[in-house]
Amino acid sequence: MDLKNELQKIVGAGNVLDSPEILEEYSTDNGIYPPGMPTVVVKAGKSEDVAKVINLANKNSTPVIPVSSGVHFQGCTIPYQGGIVLDLSNLNKILEIDPPNRRVRIEPGVTWGQITDELAKENIRVISPLLPHADRSVITDYLEREAPVVPKYEFAEPLMTYEIVWPNGEVFRTGSASVPGYPDSPAKGTNPAGPGLDFYRLPQGAQGTMGVINWANLKLEYLPKINKIFFMPFEDINAAIEPIYKIPRVHIGQEFFLLNHVDLALILAKQWPDDYDRLSDILPSWTLILTISGPPRRPEERIEYEKEALFDLKKQYFQDMPILEALPGVPGGGRELIHMLRKPWPKEEVYWKNRLSGACQSLFFIARPEDAPSFYEKVVDEAPKYGYPLEDLGVYLQPIEQSRVCHLEFNMFYDPDDPIEREKIRIMNRELAQDLLDMGAIFTRPYGDLADMVYEKATSYTTALKRVKKMFDPNNIMNPGRLCF
Amino acid sequence: MGIPQEAYKAMEDIVGSQYITDDQVIAQAYVGRLGHGKDTGIDLDMNVPPAVIVLPRTTKEVQGILKIAHRYKINYVPASSFWISHCAPKRPDSLLLDLKRMNDLEIDEENMCAICGPGVIFSQLQEEAIKRGMYTTTPGGGSQVSVVANHINWGLSPLNYRNGVPGRRVLGGEWVLPDGELLRIGSMSTTDDPFWGEGPGPDLRGLLRGWIGWFGAMGVVTKLAVKLLPFHDEGLKPVGISPHTTLQFPEKKRIRWYNFVMPTRESLVECMYDIGKAEIAAALTKVPQQWRYIAKAGCREDFWEGWNTDEARNSINNIHICRVMLVGYASEEQLEYEERVLMDIMDSYGAKLGRTRQSDNSWIKNADSATMWMMTGAYTSVQVTVDTVDCGVKGGEGLAREKPAFTPPLMDDYGEPGWFQVSEIGHMGYIEFLQYWDPNPDQENLYKKDEWNYIKVPTLDAEWGMFNAFNIYASPMNLTGKAYGPECRKWFEKVKAEFDPDKLSNDPIPWDVDEYVDKVDWVNKEDYINRDWSKG
Repeated sequence: MDLKNELQKIVGAGNVLDSPEILEEYSTDNGIYPPGMPTVVVKAGKSEDVAKVINLANKNSTPVIPVSSGVHFQGCTIPYQGGIVLDLSNLNKILEIDPPNRRVRIEPGVTWGQITDELAKENIRVISPLLPHADRSVITDYLEREAPVVPKYEFAEPLMTYEIVWPNGEVFRTGSASVPGYPDSPAKGTNPAGPGLDFYRLPQGAQGTMGVINWANLKLEYLPKINKIFFMPFEDINAAIEPIYKIPRVHIGQEFFLLNHVDLALILAKQWPDDYDRLSDILPSWTLILTISGPPRRPEERIEYEKEALFDLKKQYFQDMPILEALPGVPGGGRELIHMLRKPWPKEEVYWKNRLSGACQSLFFIARPEDAPSFYEKVVDEAPKYGYPLEDLGVYLQPIEQSRVCHLEFNMFYDPDDPIEREKIRIMNRELAQDLLDMGAIFTRPYGDLADMVYEKATSYTTALKRVKKMFDPNNIMNPGRLCF
Repeated sequence: MGIPQEAYKAMEDIVGSQYITDDQVIAQAYVGRLGHGKDTGIDLDMNVPPAVIVLPRTTKEVQGILKIAHRYKINYVPASSFWISHCAPKRPDSLLLDLKRMNDLEIDEENMCAICGPGVIFSQLQEEAIKRGMYTTTPGGGSQVSVVANHINWGLSPLNYRNGVPGRRVLGGEWVLPDGELLRIGSMSTTDDPFWGEGPGPDLRGLLRGWIGWFGAMGVVTKLAVKLLPFHDEGLKPVGISPHTTLQFPEKKRIRWYNFVMPTRESLVECMYDIGKAEIAAALTKVPQQWRYIAKAGCREDFWEGWNTDEARNSINNIHICRVMLVGYASEEQLEYEERVLMDIMDSYGAKLGRTRQSDNSWIKNADSATMWMMTGAYTSVQVTVDTVDCGVKGGEGLAREKPAFTPPLMDDYGEPGWFQVSEIGHMGYIEFLQYWDPNPDQENLYKKDEWNYIKVPTLDAEWGMFNAFNIYASPMNLTGKAYGPECRKWFEKVKAEFDPDKLSNDPIPWDVDEYVDKVDWVNKEDYINRDWSKG
């Protein structure tokens, strides 16, 4: 069978690409892992194409590597076993905006840049991760379990329902979108559970190994108009832990997270590199950042009682902790951060994580906030052994679900054009991950080198996962070589 | 016939002779005390006493028992608090695992979760959680039901307004698969700590539960961490003498009820949307008229005295009550702020604030659907839609129009379109459409209550495009399992074939309704077996 010819019949000749230049472009990403060459690149023009391409691939046991946007950092779109790169970036329609039911239905190619502007027209938003890349796919970010920057809700899952093409080519809708006749039905797809099994959980964290999403419903929240921002500086991460636990628990605030001086300077610097150099010197070692916002009704009164509650907590539990409305020495006091947090990183600027050296390897996992200091100490102890300068180590702690748990992220910056430095970071990333895993870090997104070490530890889970994967993908065509597949 | 003696002896060696029995007097008690689903056709015609009852204490004991069951091909039914009719065997010579001894409870206060054995009940957990400034959501099944079972099955509560259905709060744990092998899920996949729900890569909680769960048809969950939620720190004081007990709200303005009489059903729905958008409140629900009459009644006769009146008959379309709970999680000032916003919203709809007691009799600790049996002696929910509020209300109104054709034997509820409430702070709505009937077997056309439940409602749901959470266990897979997904039934079949190829774990669930309707003469099976359900 001529694969290219068959693919052309599905998507049209112009959407099947196999020139060496194009294949090379898709052979790598923005991360530390080496390239791998696809056989062919297919650009899906409509969602029906996806099922047809996967059907064809399944019949021929050809690997399919779904790619939703051009921005990938963890190597999971690199085709190490050849096959079809299925580029979904042209599936970029916002299919429905439903403000009464506070949901938006979008295709996988819709980016943060695109959706933020569109929703802002109606004073609504999808809560985003911290300053996402403007060209990242919204659906991919939440399928891949990025942590929302607002931990105030009891649940941390903005994704509700989706239409998925399983690896056998069957099209399936999850949750309450599974009703006959959807979307022209009374059920609008706001309930993720079911039908039958909780299918919505299976493609999450799967790195494209469980199928391809045609569209998804995500939760919408109001876009606050009146806001206040507070900065709580610390010299020692240990001192930040109690406020991290206590503040979201009383249901106050919107965005809430902890950054060390490196990450915060990268975000706040305007003139590069002068601002960065100055800010990284004067910023406190750690800054806990909280925004308080007014909802559409009685916004000032809401801000008032939340502010009062914040200061009551301080009085009761952490009297020595300063609560500042502006960061000393920072132009504008850092208050523009409020507006930055409601948008993706500006497209015209170098992505904040790439500003320092050109690229960044993020090592992240789920942890209890109380354990964050010991994980941090471990990284601080180990990083110099790899020749990595501690003054360039970025740290980000994102509370999740009212600080029940946290996403802890170490950012290691490197020059992507220096193969030796890149390899050094790769080794450091892998060995640090092993140390942290041994200490109890929960890697729910084991990318690249981390997969083997995590699955070796998760023995019963790995066995069951392989059985499930076999059910859904008997020919192992979806992104083979990832995770434990 | 029972189970093979060798198997019995092997299990006795595992749990000790005091925790295993084949006494048929005791076995009879395991079919006669079920709650939801009692006196439905399946309960009456399929449920049978177990041959043997075994009460394990540990995960290891459960593993041993399931491995023996696997070796000797014994059908087994795991059950913890016996709330639902699936907790009784539907096959002769079955083994029943009574999990009540597995009641270890550990609270992780700092990280807001509770690690529960399947024998832990809500009463036990809620008491401990509230002491620590947290809460869980006691489901409609009551405070006596299992925390684990209700998180992995349904367990919806009026307090789900902020936090969604309990399946969203399932974390890590231990799950003994049908063949006795242990699967550790969530953070327990790589550590001994169950505080987080996602494991590495695809989330196997997706197999654990679904629309409403497996009801013991996929092995036994022996340990599960569930999220707890932050509450105000003033606590709630129990007062009164059982059974007339209540939780007294604190003097400080940290928790308050508000009952509003809305001018129309439409305004009741609209105000719910507005309250959700304003991100205020801790609970928000419509109060069905029947509940009011139940609440006023001391016994069944009292209820019927009140219900058999024109006032009750007219109340369905003329009285629309919205019940709201506000909590000052942060402070009294928060509650005062939310009260002002609530009044703004309610004033805009011309709502009238009624009187209500500032205590809790049923929602927080003692959720009590036992009173649902007060009216007729038999009850079940036939429609449990979770999607938007609007979707739920439309579904309830539609079913209310269809129900008279099945009344009697169903109780005449005067066209009540169901109980509805909001969850996930307005992102979802929830409606429950109830049916009551007199279980007296001498009634004419009593089968129609099953026709309504098993066939008519699921057919209407599929035709209308409604999402009924209960259908998977209350309708044929050949109907609902084809219509939704579509063809979600195929995945049930694949999962069962992979993990329980001998169908030993609570067979024939979830195909029990197919089996039941196959035997009755009042269903034209061709109507739904051959129908293309993809278009409803």
